Order: sequence, then C-alpha cells, then structure tokens
Amino acid sequence: MTGLAPVRVLGLGNVLMGDDAFGPWVIEDLLTRWEFPQGVSVVDVGTPGLDLTPYLADAEAVFLVDTVKADGPPGTLKVYSRGQLLARGPQPRVSPHDPGLAEALFSLDFAGCAPKEVTLVGVVPEKVEKGVRLSPAVRAAVPAASEEVAARLGWLGLRPRRLAGRTTAPWWEAPIPEAASA
Amino acid sequence: MSKRIVVDPVTRIEGHLRIDVEVDGGKVQKAWSSGQMFRGIETILQGRDPRDAWLFTQRFCGVCTTVHAIASVRTVENALGLEVPLNAQYIRNLIVMAHAMHDHIVHFYHLSALDWVDVVSALKADPAKTAALAESLSPWPGNSKEQMKAVQDKVKGFVEAGQLGIFTNGYWGHPAMKLPPEVNLLAVAHYLQALEYQRKVNQIVALLGGKTPNIQNLAVGGVANAINLDSDSALNMNKLFMVKDVLDDISTFIEQVYFVDVCAVASMYPEWLGYGAGVTNYLAVPDLPLDTKGTKFDLPGGTIFNGDLAHVREIKSFDDPYFKENVSESIAHSWYDGDWTKHPYEETTEPKYTTFEENRKYSWVKSPRFQGKPMQVGPLAQVLVGFALGHEPTKRWAVKTLDTAGSLAKAKLTPAVLHSTLGRHAARMIRTCVISETAKKHWGLLAANIGKGDTTIFNPPVFPKGEQRGFGFHEAPRGTLSHWIVIQDGKIANYQAVVPSTWNAGPRDAQNQPGPYEASLVGNPVANAELPLEVLRTVHSFDPCLACAVHTLDPEGNEIATVKAL
Repeated sequence: MTGLAPVRVLGLGNVLMGDDAFGPWVIEDLLTRWEFPQGVSVVDVGTPGLDLTPYLADAEAVFLVDTVKADGPPGTLKVYSRGQLLARGPQPRVSPHDPGLAEALFSLDFAGCAPKEVTLVGVVPEKVEKGVRLSPAVRAAVPAASEEVAARLGWLGLRPRRLAGRTTAPWWEAPIPEAASA
Repeated sequence: MSKRIVVDPVTRIEGHLRIDVEVDGGKVQKAWSSGQMFRGIETILQGRDPRDAWLFTQRFCGVCTTVHAIASVRTVENALGLEVPLNAQYIRNLIVMAHAMHDHIVHFYHLSALDWVDVVSALKADPAKTAALAESLSPWPGNSKEQMKAVQDKVKGFVEAGQLGIFTNGYWGHPAMKLPPEVNLLAVAHYLQALEYQRKVNQIVALLGGKTPNIQNLAVGGVANAINLDSDSALNMNKLFMVKDVLDDISTFIEQVYFVDVCAVASMYPEWLGYGAGVTNYLAVPDLPLDTKGTKFDLPGGTIFNGDLAHVREIKSFDDPYFKENVSESIAHSWYDGDWTKHPYEETTEPKYTTFEENRKYSWVKSPRFQGKPMQVGPLAQVLVGFALGHEPTKRWAVKTLDTAGSLAKAKLTPAVLHSTLGRHAARMIRTCVISETAKKHWGLLAANIGKGDTTIFNPPVFPKGEQRGFGFHEAPRGTLSHWIVIQDGKIANYQAVVPSTWNAGPRDAQNQPGPYEASLVGNPVANAELPLEVLRTVHSFDPCLACAVHTLDPEGNEIATVKAL
C-alpha cells in the first residue's frame, strides 16, 4: 500500500455493530489524543478480510486492535503475539471476508513478505450487534488500549507524544440532529 | 434412499451462509440456501443527513465498501435530480473498475481456484514441463522453469515442516480433482503472483479514493479530489501517471495470466460447463457513466429471461422506470414478520425468527424479484446482457474465451456453455478483461477532459422541503446493487439496500420459486457426501459474500466449517 510506514497500528472492526467498533474507536482516540513520530502509520481499516494483506505486507511491526472472542468480563483487554495468532492454522476460505488476520499472515508468509512482529490488542465485547455506540465497559477500555499501544511503540523507540485537552468523538457516533426525531 | 447434507457455514463469518442439499443417486435433488444472520443495518440511517449516507453504507460490508459508497451517492443524486461533473464520473469509474479487477482476481485465485487445483499434487510436477506448457499458452514472463522450481520448493518446504500454511484444510486428493501435476504447479505459482497484482491494482482505489477499504473522496454531487496539475496535494500529473502505470501492468497480468488460466481450467473440467445453470433469468444494470446525467454508459445493462439471448431488454439510464418499477422483495420464506411482496420504497424490516423450517421460513435473506421472477445477477448476467446487446468488447472477449478454451478442450464451445458453474468463472474473467480495457479508456477521457481546462468536481446538493424518493444502482463485482431512499424534509425517512448476494442467495418466494443458489445446485453430482466439494464449487462460483456485517477475531477458538451428512 502506498505511503505506509514500517511500523503500523491498525484498527479492525465494523463501526455499525456495537462493540465491534472498538478497533476503529481506538484508532480515532490515538489520532486525536496522541502525536506519532515518523515511521508509524495509524489506520482504521474497517473489516477488510483479505484486503488486510497490503496493510501487513513488508511491515517491520504491526499492532492490531480488535474485539476478540475470549473469556473474561466485557472490557477485558487481552494481548496476543504472532505465535498465538497463528497457532490454530488457517481456516477454509470461501468469501472474501473469510481470510481473517491469520489467513492474511499465512498468505504473506507464503509470499515471503509477512511482518515479523505482530501484536493484537483485543477487548472482550459485551454486544456485537447493530448499533453505533460502544457498551460502557468497552468504552471504558479505550484509553487503556491506547496506552497499551503507546507503551509498546515506546519499546521500539517510537513512543507517541500525548496531547493535552483533546476529546475523541468518532463521526459515526455523532448524534442525529433534532429535526430528525420529529 | 436420499441423504441430507448440511454445509454450515459455507462462509465462516458471523452472518454466514448455510447450504442444505438432499442427495439421491449421487446427485443433488433439492437445495436450500439460508442466510444465518439478521442484517437490517439500513435502519441505522433513519433520521440522518442524506449527504452522510454513503459514509455509513460503506461500512455495511468490509470488502465491498466502495460499491455501497458509490450506490449511495447515486441514490441521493437521483432523488434530487442532481447532475455529476464529468471529472467526478471518470474518477468514480476508475475507482470502481480498479476495485472490480482487484475483487475478481482475488475471487478466482485466492477464494475459489483451490476448489479445482490440488496444491499437494503440484509437488509431483516437473517444473521444466510446467514452464514449457505455460510458455506454449502465454508470453507472460513469470512462467520460467526457475520460477516454477522456486514455487515448488516453497510448497515442499511447507510440507516438510509439517504444515501447508495457507493451504491447510483444502480437499487435497479429492477424486473430483482432475488437473495434472504440471497445471497444479502453474496454478500455485500464479496464486502467488496474483497476490501481488491484486494489491497493486487496489493502489488505484487508494490513490484516487484516499484510502481502501473505506474510500474518502466521495460527496453527493461529485468527488472531493481537487484537480490541480501543479499542486502536490491535489490530483496532479504525477498521480495520474501512477494510475496509468498500474493500469498497464494489471492489464498484462489479466490478459496473459488470468485469461489463460481460466481457459485452461475450463478445458480440463468440461463436465462443469454442463452443471450449475440454475436460474437463467439475468439482470445487470448499466454502469460507467459517460455523461453528467447518467444516460450514456460504457457497460450496458438489461434483462434476459429463460436464457433467451434473442430477447434482451435494455436498461438505459440511472432513472429508467423499467428498473425502478419492477424490483420487489418477498419475505414468504424469510424470518420477518408477515408474508408480503413489496417495492423497496415501501418495505419494512421487522425481524421474527422462528427456526429452520424448509417449507416455511428458513433464512434472514429476503427474496428480491424482477417482475415477480427470480434473477441471477453477477458477471455472468453482465456478460450475457452485453453479448446479447452486441457490446463490442464483451462480444470480442467472450468469443476469444470460448475459442481458446474450446481449442484446448478440442471441442466447439458456444455461449450456451456459459450457463454453468464454470461459465460463471469464465464470465468473471471476460468481464475483468473488458473492464481492464475500459479503465485505460477512462483514464484517457479524464486526462483529456482535464487537459481541456475543466477542473469541476462537484455540484452542491440542495434539499427541498417535503418528500423526495430516489434509487441508485451500481454493477458491483458480485452483480446488481441498488439502494433506495425516501427523504423527508432533508432527512432520511427510509433506506433499503438490495444487494447482489440477496438476488443470488435468497430463499424461495411466495410462489415457491427457488433462488439462484438453490436452483443451480440441483443436478450437481456429489461423489462423497462427507466431502461435498461439488456443492462448494457451484456456490463459490457465485462469489458468495453474505455478510455486509461484522468480523470478530477468535484467536483462542477453533471454528471450522462443519459438514453434516444426515
């Protein structure tokens, strides 16, 4: 993909499906409240399926943020390494959505341009169903996820700078104007 | 004694597709297609500003973001009678063509070729023979003996390490796999090369759209790409020539690799030119507008009923009443409250889930109909409509495909073989060749128009009081996509998306007419009920994509498609 830095932070998820918006939400938060050094790209990639491959190809390190199906109360953060993400092998592929993160990584492995470092910062969702708001528990986990990503970038010598006095307000959560409800 | 097979999920995402087939005497006798997730995501738009609709609709789906964005702006423009400047039409056209080429390459090589190609068998190939075969078919420089050997070594390395990487979980060694080892090796080599080229062509979407997935350059009334040949931050000569370079590269890949591979596979599975026709009513809409009003197009649209190419009826404009008045959806067998058939402007979306009852309600997908008939949409519909209307590039590429595959198979192939499972793959490739040529033409049209000094990109919309209704369509990679809007005092009162996979994957309707997936499976052979590869071949040929929905990573779980033979 044109213009991507060697270290990438990618938010995954559908902003119209409740807590599945966590990845894009954290990206909005990072871009609003932090300033990133050169060498880091921060992108909301939505739910790209195999289209994730260009975002991963030839990267030095990739940090992904997404909802995960895991044990724990809603809002629990979980961090996974590349090895953990690839442990269960690829899944059968049928629709373009099907190749998920693991499949994209396996494809790039075969092509010889997979990123060496991959870290997933995941959150346990409460509700993944139609709607444009995060549940309170998952919303509360956003700042911690941003901190987690910032800290991990720091370990690579690429720590972003915190900007004071900013409030994150994603476009998809903008209230419907008054006249609409009439 | 008949046997029931359930393939669930066929698509693995939330909102997946389930296929049930009843097999008797080694053949499918009956089939049911079921969408397993409630969508109804359109209701999120109610009350919002119509100018924002495209931002939300392009999040309906993770893969087809661009297509929903385009259909949505066209819908609002139609409701307002708003014209779109030529530059904006050409820029949009280039984006949708690049997206379509990317999507079709991914579908053939990465999502469905492995239904036909046995990766493990490639280990037995002689790389020199593979190269000789490839060089006899195509001047493509990526077919040398050394390149074939390198790919084979790579596969060997994976196998020796005890795993097949991305190729794990295929139906390797299945008796329905018939390609010789050399062809399998060639296909695996091209699988890798295709991975690189699909990324490359998608760069056009990112260059012109600002980003992909989820382009950022659209607006109701045009695009937001400032045109200034002397500015670094605008659409300038440099960016235009980057687009041209990619178009030239990708057309070489499409014509020298994709075209040849599809002809070769078709020639080696001739029986699959006889299975999978299903519904032979076809619907395609015109696309790639050449004027500001949407009355002249580079891709034709129309309808064909009962496979009768002699009686095609053309759809002529973005406002054609023949399309507007003849679309309806039935919920007779869908999990919604009631039992009606309604026009999209009049529809409601009230979920009422029961269970899977094959003679009553069994799917979340509604059944779209055209004049009450089920229609097949997608590249096959597009190619047949183009062929029947005498669209020159479609006719030329279709004839070239039938001649090439026919000479490899030593048989005379006529357009009738396109009504089939492999015909859908061939049509997708034919459409890709047509689009690749047309994209270069539209690049020239854009450059010439800018060269004339026209830099207009946007006509601002004005929303009058009262009600406006509009519809917009786009011939997306999976087929005819239409959005329908009712605007009341400048706000969205109702919104409906009738998507390609709904046309194809929908259940039976009130008259018990099966949808295209269901009809296409009847008569397919099934060699082994535990490994129903044949069922997957036919369903995959439609490029199924039901989701328009959600994607949650499951790093700890172990979900695998299950096949139940009951």
